[in-house]
Amino acid sequence: MTAAVTTKPTAPAARRSERARLLVQPILVLFLVVGVLGWAFSRDLTATQKGSLNAANIATLTWQHVLITVVVVVIVVIVAVPLGILLTRPGFTKLAPVFIGIANIGQAAPAIGLLVLLFLATGTTGFWIGVLPIAFYSLLPVLRNTILGLQEVNPAVIDAGRGQGMTAGLVLRKVEFPLAVPYILAGLRTSLVLAVGTATLSFLVSAGGLGILIDTGYKLRDNVTLVVGAVLAVALALLVDWCGALAEEFLGPKGLR
Amino acid sequence: MQQLWDFVSARKQQLLTDSLLHVSAVVQSVVIATIVAVAIGILVYRSPAGSAIATALAGTILTIPSFALLGLLIPILGLGVAPTVTALVLYALLPIIRNTILGLASVDPAVTDAARGVGMSRTTVLSRIELPLAWPSILTGMRVSTQMLMGILAIAAYAKGPGLGNLIFSGLSRVGSPTAIPQALTGTVLIVILALVLDGVLAVVGRLTTSRGIRD
Amino acid sequence: MTDLDTPHTNGSTVSGVDIVLEDVVKSYPGQEKAAVDNVSMRIPAGEIVVLVGPSGCGKTTTMRMINRLIEPTSGKITIGGKDALSIDPDKLRRGIGYSIQQAGLFPHLTIAKNVGTVPGLIGWDKKKIADRTDEMLDLVGLEPGLYRERYPRQLSGGQQQRVGVARALAADPPVLLMDEPFGAVDPITRALLQDELMRLQSDLGKTIVFVTHDFNEAVKLGDRIAVLGNQSHIMQYDTPEAILAHPANDMVAGFIGADASLKQLTLTRVAEVELLDCPTAYEDGSVDDLRAAISPRKIKWGIVLDARDRPIRWVSLHHLATATSLHDLGDPIDEVMSTQSTLQDALEALLAESSASTIVTGLHGEYRGLITIDTLVAHLSAMREEHAHDDEDAEPQQDGASERGTPS
Repeated sequence: MTAAVTTKPTAPAARRSERARLLVQPILVLFLVVGVLGWAFSRDLTATQKGSLNAANIATLTWQHVLITVVVVVIVVIVAVPLGILLTRPGFTKLAPVFIGIANIGQAAPAIGLLVLLFLATGTTGFWIGVLPIAFYSLLPVLRNTILGLQEVNPAVIDAGRGQGMTAGLVLRKVEFPLAVPYILAGLRTSLVLAVGTATLSFLVSAGGLGILIDTGYKLRDNVTLVVGAVLAVALALLVDWCGALAEEFLGPKGLR
Repeated sequence: MQQLWDFVSARKQQLLTDSLLHVSAVVQSVVIATIVAVAIGILVYRSPAGSAIATALAGTILTIPSFALLGLLIPILGLGVAPTVTALVLYALLPIIRNTILGLASVDPAVTDAARGVGMSRTTVLSRIELPLAWPSILTGMRVSTQMLMGILAIAAYAKGPGLGNLIFSGLSRVGSPTAIPQALTGTVLIVILALVLDGVLAVVGRLTTSRGIRD
Repeated sequence: MTDLDTPHTNGSTVSGVDIVLEDVVKSYPGQEKAAVDNVSMRIPAGEIVVLVGPSGCGKTTTMRMINRLIEPTSGKITIGGKDALSIDPDKLRRGIGYSIQQAGLFPHLTIAKNVGTVPGLIGWDKKKIADRTDEMLDLVGLEPGLYRERYPRQLSGGQQQRVGVARALAADPPVLLMDEPFGAVDPITRALLQDELMRLQSDLGKTIVFVTHDFNEAVKLGDRIAVLGNQSHIMQYDTPEAILAHPANDMVAGFIGADASLKQLTLTRVAEVELLDCPTAYEDGSVDDLRAAISPRKIKWGIVLDARDRPIRWVSLHHLATATSLHDLGDPIDEVMSTQSTLQDALEALLAESSASTIVTGLHGEYRGLITIDTLVAHLSAMREEHAHDDEDAEPQQDGASERGTPS
């Protein structure tokens, strides 16, 4: 789980190390996956173990995990970015602290608490019972960074835009938003990591995910399954973080890189 | 609502104990992490490469899902306090390392030059000038870490770790019973409240320990 | 070296020691040329020696080798006879005052704690430190009661600089290093601080090494100026008068700027030049006597003085032609110069009034004589003459790798 907000790295040494990480991380992921699976399958697995540790099951669980992550992030973007934009428009800025406060509580509350509560409250389990609390939990970074990114835009630039006859909407679309994108992407990366990490717990509400391997391994004192589940979860998290880093690096406006 | 209130008042003692355990585990972990992180920060802050590596490593740790890290530590460290505190300390590292490096690196070079120029040794400059000036930044890192750890610790209850997470997992396992929701709710809400209280306490500590000359 | 004009001390207190640099070199690995290439110079005790030169010439590097914030690659540095390179650097620095451009005050400490830094490091007891702190604050013009407990950010730039100087002087070091200390403040404050420094120096007599890129500042403050070129080569090391009158080469001349002669005028006071005489009379004096005194002269003017010998009016032959008494006769006097004014001030007054001469008064306002444009020109010529002869004498303290080129 990552900490609250990240701003974009700008110092030259930091950027160089970020670039190095872009190359190293996927290799690390590959190494972990191949390593742990190679280790697990080279052992004599009992029938129970084979029940969990087979290609089909692992693939399914991974897919579930990824799906939860992606849906969470989509929800977060759909909710937090427009909300962030709204809260920086004149007239609404006073509301910003309120929503940030709510999102703050969402982050301070333990993810597991949110999952369990929704489950208990609705009496149901399943995909959405996993996704919604995680989405609420992961809102803050994107919301906060959207607001921050828009606030950071040099007022002189906006002024120039209006001065050239752009409407407020055009200024937002063509000037403010592109300039805020690096911040938003940084927040998005944090959210992604939060989401994929918390999704490890979604098995508790029967929403699937790699966490179930850890749980099974723990309950059955089966260290092999436990380790496989944990390492794969870590690898997936690193992969997702890498995707976030790619987005940060390449989706931002070219002039700002 | 009434149910919740009954629940809480009936178990006041237990809740107090759990809260104390929760807070104390977090506080101790943050303290350990601060010592380690500040030491690392001091070692690397003057080298851009070193700083980048330290930050990247600590950052990678944060990417690891807490449940997975816990899972990996169980076979090695067993159950209970050991894997819990280890995981907490590891997670708390990044915000503090990053802020230590940031704080130390942003000390005005003219000030360190003057400090050396009047005859302070390197260690004296570090202890009397650079660290006090970086302190507000370090403290902010500690606050961020504390908030994070309050939430992560809840998961540790899965491996018989201490704290309020136990209430949440209790509620989970008692699904259907009337105490389920109150338990989970109390656990969650208490964690949130305590997190905010701790943050407030750290903020006050910050104000008290920061020289008036540099307070914002 | 020519006859020395007295250093800015009053001669009695010299608490500084001399500094000698011998063949000091600083080169950085990977760089072809040394940053400081073989500098040798002697900085006499109790004097302000200013190192001037363009940015990047190595003047700051040279100065920072004296207190070993930068370690020399080779060469010898002696302070007060002791080899600086064999003492522990931290200890060395506690015996050398250090004042820099941004003051470098410790923002988290009170002014008092800032000033008391070095005494604290040396190990003075609390009372001694407190007393000394107050003394230093007083010395730099900051009232101790008011400023002791404040923090740097509550002070203006000029005030911070003063604290920086107080801090540098707190442990009473014999040597003071100042790296463009007045560079970051506005011109008015800068002038004030410069005057303060000169006042302090006249009381304390420390050895001060002062780095600046502002030649005017060098002329104002320095007993001696070392004009440095690339790699800190000494182009010329001499008194300000000598350098202005006789720049060693084109580079020095270029650094001085086109108004070298004007700058020279700031170095001499009216008291040092010969004043012209003018017929004077008191108010109750005789009109005829004054007329008789004025008539044979070229300039047909006289001055009426009051009972305290202070000039009050100009009187011309024309006024005297039909006058019966000197009371209320003539034109009132606007501007006078004091003997303490510089020749540049005198020139300013002459130009401002478009007149050929200005009256000079002494310390109590009493009439002393006239100063004219001719006086100024004669003075400048004499200076050039005097320093032209320097070339022919031996230069015991003029060392340096480069030769002084003789201007054609």
